Amino acid sequence: MCVRFEPSNVTEMNDWIAIGALALVGVLIPFGMMAVSYLLRPTVPETSKRATYESGEIPTGGTRIRFNIQYYMVALLFVVFDIETVLLFPWAVAYQDALAADIPLVRALGPMLLFVAILLVGLAWAWRTGAVQWARTPRQLESDRP
Amino acid sequence: MTGGQIAGAATLPSAPPAMPLQDTVLLPERLGELTGLDGFGLGGELLATFLAAFIVGNLMLAMTGVAGPWAKRKITAAFTDRIAVNRLGPAGLFIILADSVRLLSKELVIPENADRPAYDLAPIVVASSALLGFAVIPMGSGIHLADPEVGLAYVFAVSGIASLGLVMAGYASSNKYSLLGGLRAVAQNIAYEIPLVITGMSIVIFAGTLQLGEIVSAQAKPLLTIAGISIPSWYALVNPFAFVLFLVANFAEVGRNPFDTPEAPTEIVAGYQTEYSSVYFVLIYLGEFLHIFLGGAIIATIFLGGPAGPGPAALGIVWFIIKIWAVFFATQWLRSAVPRVRIDQLIEIGWKGLLVLSFANLVLTAVIVGLIA
Repeated sequence: MCVRFEPSNVTEMNDWIAIGALALVGVLIPFGMMAVSYLLRPTVPETSKRATYESGEIPTGGTRIRFNIQYYMVALLFVVFDIETVLLFPWAVAYQDALAADIPLVRALGPMLLFVAILLVGLAWAWRTGAVQWARTPRQLESDRP
Repeated sequence: MTGGQIAGAATLPSAPPAMPLQDTVLLPERLGELTGLDGFGLGGELLATFLAAFIVGNLMLAMTGVAGPWAKRKITAAFTDRIAVNRLGPAGLFIILADSVRLLSKELVIPENADRPAYDLAPIVVASSALLGFAVIPMGSGIHLADPEVGLAYVFAVSGIASLGLVMAGYASSNKYSLLGGLRAVAQNIAYEIPLVITGMSIVIFAGTLQLGEIVSAQAKPLLTIAGISIPSWYALVNPFAFVLFLVANFAEVGRNPFDTPEAPTEIVAGYQTEYSSVYFVLIYLGEFLHIFLGGAIIATIFLGGPAGPGPAALGIVWFIIKIWAVFFATQWLRSAVPRVRIDQLIEIGWKGLLVLSFANLVLTAVIVGLIA
């Protein structure tokens, strides 16, 4: 496929060059600050200074521990919904045009509603199984008791 | 009547009329013309582009400089009936310079168990990812770096990179508070990212485009006229419900009160930034402020008409900065006025409350737009 240098094509290219330039600036600014700080700051090594902060106590145990499964559950849920947002964006952009082109509402809106409905079933499942509820209410604790 | 409306709505994205607020010439080209750099071929164009990026980056840096050491203290002091910084310069403004020197000249203490490459990279990721989003924001007065067609999706995507930086900071510090803070930050960011994007999508339905320049110019149309004063169709006025949803989700997304659980000082010291000192601390702090401003910039762009305001179009940047600062002021107001929610409450508000409401908003908007059209 040949690249034609139409005006729109050129600006589109410039857009991403400009974004790349800002990315470069965005990296140069932190490095500049780090360089300035390197010139200004003192270095006074001391053995206990580098100990992990644990409210002034001697740190106990490591950090590479098993943490709560709850964090994984919401992350899994997020992946589903995030992909869904990516898939919905094209629909949102095309929706008005589709209506203007006299495509019936059922065809323009129906598939999106079905898609969202399927996702909401997933959310309802997560809701029921307690994936998005991290603390038990007193009533739930009561009913858990044998 | 309705036929005309449909045609108007449909041709809106594709027809760029001579809107006084819409700058079709982006900042790199404008600078290229102004400095005569565009006469030097590709190298000159690249230099002009870099210059433009440098201006935008430093504008945001300057705003953060004013906000962090000075405005934040002044606002909080006003809320708690104090005076705050007032010794250096007029209204204590020189504290900005004094504080930047003070913070940068602190000793850099790196914890002994830190996971080195990740520990060092995290502040840079947090700071630069926040800056990236400003590339596509139309700030008025010709300050608009790039206007790609995927603008809004791009902004949401790059502002999401910060979560990676935060979890890197939390995990690599090898500190229990940091780990908890990092995990909380991610759980919170991903919980509120979806309501944010879904609500943004309900605006895309109106505008019919993701290009931020087009979204801004679409808001210049008059909504209604009361006593000769024409009210523009800012999407905050067209759909106030979406505006409120977006605002709340945004406060959670940037981790401000009442959703500041990732760095809740009374629970986990300072969260992911507990082990960071000196320039690394400055960078993480900078990134957080840039994120507040980026959130404000997105809100201003898609809900408040971007740089639109009374007066000539050259004042655009002034209005834009006022709108961003209004959002910043709101975060500081909430900081003084609203108690923090617990992490489990936060997750429930996000997944059971805001997510459902934002889907309801999206579906309702789509149905109403479909029925009117």
